[in-house]
Amino acid sequence: MLALENVHTYYGKSHILHGVSIEVGPGEVVGLLGRNGVGKSTTLKTIMGLVRPSGGSVRFEGRDIAGMAPHRPAHLGIAYVPEERRIFRLLSVLENLRTGLDRPGVSESRKNELLENAYEHFPVLRDRRNQAGGTLSGGEQQMLAIARAMMLDPKIILLDEPTEGLMPRMVSQIREIIHVLHRGGVAILLVEQNVPLTLEVSSRVYIMEKGVVRHHGPTADLRANQAVIHQYLGV
Amino acid sequence: MAIPFDQILIQTVNGLVNGMILALVASGLTLIFGIMDIVNFAHGELVMLGGFTGATALAVTGSFWLALVAAVLTIALLGALLQATALRPLVGRDPLTTILATFGISLVLQKYALWQWGPSARKLQEPITGQFNLFYLEYPWYRVLTALLAAGIIGALYLFLRYGKYGIWIRAATQDRIMAQAMGIPVPLVHAVVFGIGASMAAASGVLFGPLGGVTQTMGADFTLRAFIVVVVGGMGNLGGSILASILISLIEAYASLVVSPAQAVIASFVVLILTQLFRPTGLFVPTPK
Repeated sequence: MLALENVHTYYGKSHILHGVSIEVGPGEVVGLLGRNGVGKSTTLKTIMGLVRPSGGSVRFEGRDIAGMAPHRPAHLGIAYVPEERRIFRLLSVLENLRTGLDRPGVSESRKNELLENAYEHFPVLRDRRNQAGGTLSGGEQQMLAIARAMMLDPKIILLDEPTEGLMPRMVSQIREIIHVLHRGGVAILLVEQNVPLTLEVSSRVYIMEKGVVRHHGPTADLRANQAVIHQYLGV
Repeated sequence: MAIPFDQILIQTVNGLVNGMILALVASGLTLIFGIMDIVNFAHGELVMLGGFTGATALAVTGSFWLALVAAVLTIALLGALLQATALRPLVGRDPLTTILATFGISLVLQKYALWQWGPSARKLQEPITGQFNLFYLEYPWYRVLTALLAAGIIGALYLFLRYGKYGIWIRAATQDRIMAQAMGIPVPLVHAVVFGIGASMAAASGVLFGPLGGVTQTMGADFTLRAFIVVVVGGMGNLGGSILASILISLIEAYASLVVSPAQAVIASFVVLILTQLFRPTGLFVPTPK
């Protein structure tokens, strides 16, 4: 469904991605592991059209999306939960959600359905729906960021380090929502530093180092191969 | 020396009326700055073009209100076109480039007005000529109407931004352009629309101001300058702050002109500007950053 092939991306003159190839099938949860600064976030930004690749192709459902206007991927069904969460701080929780709901072609009843669904999984967001996004705690902001992505009714969600800096209770809530999304048929490309979580929820894993994919395989193989984990992730 | 109470009251009314027209100009300016980081030095020229377009439309239709609508729509379209053609490529660049670009646009628009309408001033006929007694003065109702209309337009903008679907888009894109795009909001289109809205508010001020001060090809610079003082004093990109600052500055100028000549009273607003920059550079009406 989503396929990156030999993607090269630069920030100014620094070469960040050196030919990355990644594939995610429909409904599949795929992990993308690696240390800090190896290009995981850049890979997601390249998919979203927030940075333009200088070479290679990014295809979604057969269509080349590299170099599309940055608001187009969301319309195609690609949702993005960035590492910094990027809540609209001065918008209320409900308004944050509405940024994803007020698209052409979404009926009022479907909007309510999507909202109710998000509130059901994150009851705290319903309680705080009229509160400014910036007043939420870090964990609540992470839930809002994920709920906001769900408003797009996406086929795939790109999750960038959703558990970073969260306390264990929140981490298990994130784990839970990943399972819920997966059961709902949504594909996930999960960028993480949390190796145990990634191995638990993903069916396949890519490991990146210095802007290239070093290792790729089913999670089960990786679990059995502690040496690889140690070599690339240092854990 | 004692200033008679009736003069203070008259100047309060004057200050409020001028403040509302200024607020109409400044809120467009601050809206544009907030979302695009573009300091629009051509904003006063949009006021001027609005005034001339209104004058022409008034001559053709004979109706002030039709002329107001025509000017607002024409200049809104012009603003959106200017944004899409001249400024879109500069969004996200060094602010200096956009200052130069909008300054260039202001020169072009000014010379166009000179070519199209000539150097002499146009005065629009006010739609209502009634007056009421304010102490020793016959105070024109039109001035009061102007303030109310300006307040109405600003109020409508506020409601649109607060509750409208596209208002949420505008606020989201103002806060985080990148994330707004990732949520599927067509930010370039939003930018053009916001520029159009700002331009149309400037045009409305130009038409409303037409019967009071007349329309001249060089009037833009004064509006740009005053709107800038207001936007900086109120806090860059802060809509409510700009409106409060417009009223504050206009009142201060009005009161100052009781003591000194009106030309000198302008100095008072510069004093406010400098004091704001010294003691509260983020703006008077912005909550202190925590």
